[in-house]
Amino acid sequence: MNAVPRRIRRVLAGISLPVYLLLYAPLSVIAIFSFAPSLGHPGPNLAAYGMLLNDPEVLAALRRSLTLAIGSAVLGTMLGTLMGFGLSRFRPAKGGGFWVGTLPSLIIYLPIIMPSLVFGISELIFFNFVHEYTGLLSAGLLTMGIAHVTFQAPYVALVVYARLAGLDPNLFEASQDLYANAVKSFVFLTIPVVRPALIGGFLLAITLSIDDFTISFFTAGPGSVTLPIYIYSAIARKGSSPEINALGSLMIATVIGVALLYYFVTRHRERSTRIPAVA
Amino acid sequence: MGTAAQGEARSRAWRLWITSGPGLFWIVLFLLIPSGVMLGIAFFTNSDFGSPVLPLSLDSFSQVAGYGILGWSGANFTVLLRSLLQAGVATSVTILLAYPLVFFIVTRPASLRPVLLLFAIVPSWTNQVVRTYAWMELLNPFAPVSHVAQVLGIIPPHLGLMPGNFAVLVGLSYNYLPYMVVPLYAAAEKLDWTLVEAGRDLYASGARLFFNTVFPQTLPGLLSGIILVGIPAFGDYVVPQLLGGDKAMMLGSLIADQFTFSPDWPYGAALTLIMLVFTCIGLIVFRRLTQRLGGGEGAML
Repeated sequence: MNAVPRRIRRVLAGISLPVYLLLYAPLSVIAIFSFAPSLGHPGPNLAAYGMLLNDPEVLAALRRSLTLAIGSAVLGTMLGTLMGFGLSRFRPAKGGGFWVGTLPSLIIYLPIIMPSLVFGISELIFFNFVHEYTGLLSAGLLTMGIAHVTFQAPYVALVVYARLAGLDPNLFEASQDLYANAVKSFVFLTIPVVRPALIGGFLLAITLSIDDFTISFFTAGPGSVTLPIYIYSAIARKGSSPEINALGSLMIATVIGVALLYYFVTRHRERSTRIPAVA
Repeated sequence: MGTAAQGEARSRAWRLWITSGPGLFWIVLFLLIPSGVMLGIAFFTNSDFGSPVLPLSLDSFSQVAGYGILGWSGANFTVLLRSLLQAGVATSVTILLAYPLVFFIVTRPASLRPVLLLFAIVPSWTNQVVRTYAWMELLNPFAPVSHVAQVLGIIPPHLGLMPGNFAVLVGLSYNYLPYMVVPLYAAAEKLDWTLVEAGRDLYASGARLFFNTVFPQTLPGLLSGIILVGIPAFGDYVVPQLLGGDKAMMLGSLIADQFTFSPDWPYGAALTLIMLVFTCIGLIVFRRLTQRLGGGEGAML
């Protein structure tokens, strides 16, 4: 990297450090405001956090968020892994025509490309019609879960596919030579090989679920208020409050904690400079 | 021989559908069909309750074009133009911030790079509502930032930097910056620095050196970054909703209103169709550009 002169590196640092500051400034402001004095609590205090932990509505929303994230991630990872595996192993190497070659890719990219507002409203209308004509799928955690699986599976498929794409195809030939049938070779070869991708994909699916607001908002029912929806409606109703600041801070702290954990765990396992995914 | 090969191909196809089938079927059932239904609704007539009824008509599209009971209004065009403009400017802001940031990271020792990249991305892992709410706290009329702007005369006293177009721009740029950083970083990390050296040996420097050696090599990354930032920014709902207010309305809020506050599903569906058309145009244009420039996509499906 000595191609970059010292003067330019200084300029780069001079621009980048403020950018880093800017990235964390709003998050820190929320954290600082969460300790702000409020009615009956002069000086910096933890009152907002106390209120939060005793608020049954918040705790219920948290429970729903976790149920939704874990439930949808399990199914999303299963469907996504099978898709990634199947497309990398059984799709003809060249072409395959529209039906086998192009169409599956188009379908997998659809949830990724589609603006989440269009995604959410399409689901809203669809579930509405289904409910009207069959009485099934009334808006709630189930419809939210279905929608979440729909956007998680493609991301998991991409992660698994990328992992398998870098693999020697001879491994599969070898397993066949050793008389492993399709199921055996999947369980004893594919699963161990894609395990890092599987764990990564599962965590990505959970992150995507927790990070999503727009799609959840349009597929939610009155009884399925999750944390992001709770925060959104609280802001819309009464603007900012120390309680919302405290809740936001806890969510930010959790994410940063998980990110650091992830970093230290993967750093020990593999020292390559891998690019973390954006969620 | 021929039958054996055919049998082999058939068993492969069968396995492909056994493994990939359920996931693909799920997406078709729960996204492709619903979005088809949604677009179909655009061609129905609006009932008194906002739900679509027969006969088929193009009324919703004339509503989109601005024709209503009160005559023609350009409000929808303004909203569309504003969405395009906001997405374009926000994308430019992320490019201007991401280039120095990415090259700052790339020129650090290899052991530091993953941490620096991680720190640039972590904020995007927090929930979008929380992130946007944070900017509400930072830009509202009572916040110190607004106070400084008031004193400097940038905004009139007693007004904040939000709600408004500026706040939406800030929110969008903040939200999507990491989506520009990641693909640019991927391109910058693989950069062939010998080309830069060669350029310098030929006495190129400054902007000329950058645009002839560094820029072409990072162009594929830049193009994917533009897609990853521009498209979601154009269709964003949360940011304009929380930071925008009435005078900074974007297409997303206009669409959502037709399904929530004042239901008019055919009109909302027609607006959605417009959003999808612009999204597709953007995608196709930038994909063509990437292909023409020979950007390899490696392990893409």
